[in-house]
Amino acid sequence: MSNENKKWFSLNLNRSKKTDSCGCGNNSGSCSDQKEKDGYDQIMDVPMDRRAAFKKITAGFLIGAGAVNSSCSVISGDESKEKANIEWEEYFKGNYKLMTNEEKDKTVDRLTRSYELRTGKNLSMSSKDAEEDVLFGYAFNISKCQGYMDCVNACVEENNQDRATEMQYIRIHEMDEGKGFNFEESDDNYYHEVPADGHFYMGTQCFHCDNPPCVEVCPVQATWKEKDGIVVIDYDWCIGCRYCMAACPYDGRRFNWKTPEVPEKEVNKKQHYLGNRLRKKGVMEKCTFCIQRSREGQNPACVEACPTGSRTFGNLLDPKSNIRWILDNKKVFRLKEDLGTEPKFWYYMD
Amino acid sequence: MTTKLILRLMAICLFVVSCKHEEKHKYHTVVDKIVAETIESENTTLTSEIYNEGIKTVTVNEDGYDFLIPERKSQIASYNCTECHTEPIENLKQHQLDEKAAHWNIKLVHASAETMNCATCHTSSDMDNLHSLTNSTIDFNYSYKVCSQCHQQEFKDWKGGAHGKQLGGWAPPRLSKTCVNCHNPHQPAFEKRWPVRFNTQKVKERK
Repeated sequence: MSNENKKWFSLNLNRSKKTDSCGCGNNSGSCSDQKEKDGYDQIMDVPMDRRAAFKKITAGFLIGAGAVNSSCSVISGDESKEKANIEWEEYFKGNYKLMTNEEKDKTVDRLTRSYELRTGKNLSMSSKDAEEDVLFGYAFNISKCQGYMDCVNACVEENNQDRATEMQYIRIHEMDEGKGFNFEESDDNYYHEVPADGHFYMGTQCFHCDNPPCVEVCPVQATWKEKDGIVVIDYDWCIGCRYCMAACPYDGRRFNWKTPEVPEKEVNKKQHYLGNRLRKKGVMEKCTFCIQRSREGQNPACVEACPTGSRTFGNLLDPKSNIRWILDNKKVFRLKEDLGTEPKFWYYMD
Repeated sequence: MTTKLILRLMAICLFVVSCKHEEKHKYHTVVDKIVAETIESENTTLTSEIYNEGIKTVTVNEDGYDFLIPERKSQIASYNCTECHTEPIENLKQHQLDEKAAHWNIKLVHASAETMNCATCHTSSDMDNLHSLTNSTIDFNYSYKVCSQCHQQEFKDWKGGAHGKQLGGWAPPRLSKTCVNCHNPHQPAFEKRWPVRFNTQKVKERK
């Protein structure tokens, strides 16, 4: 049973415990280097007895009487026991980067089950990994954008962003013609008929830099660049310090100052662990190139919603893709190229 | 014991740092990476075929670009034209002035009257097809051939993928909208309209 291989401590309420010679589940030979250190273990990597004791003590402090009480109580129902169990396991799970596929599946199961327990509705969550030979890139045609903002709407709906604070990943900047890219003088919250005379429009969002400064500064490695180039956040590992927000030169990251709320019937049920699953208060979030869509071969919601065709998305490694043709044939540029962040988001004009 | 632990930690740190270093400096720029890792052909397992389901398509093959566009004829409400146009246009002229003429809703706002009129694209001798400037027949499904006679730069960009819009997904096979899927050929310009949303919170925050 994989319980013994788990990288965090379980309550083990209804299960019998099997003991091995050591905690790694490997009976033969030395086990010191074979186990990937993760989460708790990264800090608590001490011999078995002390570790177990430590875990139990800390867990006792952290969760306190609450979870243990409800999960061990004879009076409370199976459902609340399950809830407490899920909460417990979720609390002590490892960093997503270090999870095995089995562990990923389990946390996804727990999250979907917990949603079901809370709302009675089912969602489909995926933890699909990056595809081989795929590197995502994005191109934006400044000549074509008319400032209609259909992309913003589509993004909010797709990615379950908080409605009350009107969180938006995409910003559309209305720029004065003749003043160039002057973000200080541009207006990203206009409301009048568009396109307005004498103005042009450009969108910004997370550029999924190939050399992302936000990843560099994260003290807990809760954000990283995936193999297909998408910069993601583990919402359960993020401590909300907002270093990444400060490090991003493009204003690509957003912070949840309150618990994000989405009306039940508007919740996008097709979710990805690293993408649009429901977030909590005090964590960062941002554009993920709609990871739940792009890893299935679909275009991000903004690309699909754009009525002008300003937005192009695709595989940079596929020489036949539209995005590659744009890079090879149009005069493209990126924002703040001199910073060396290597954004995978190119602008071009007709 | 403590020294051993510190040494082990240092070794791990070094290992981690060196790994990071290697990965970071493998390519100087992302363009170098793209060039170096470009794949021969589309050998990804992903396909956007399921997203293209339900869209009737025709294949475009122009100058080495192969892709799909939506089929057009079945989408035109009154096609075939010859279902009504059974007799010469002269005989179909308005009988009374208060009667609505056929195609009353079509207003031509496309180039100047000196450059274009109905007969630039349509011909009375072959209603069911379009025709080119040199009077060769163009199928309604391939109407981009009519447009590309003047809009050469747009045509070039469209073939490559810089103009227009991809349907379905990014994964192959490529299915792109054709000219008339976005532009009304009789009034091709986009109209002004209001943005679909206004962020009231941003206004408050920035006060």
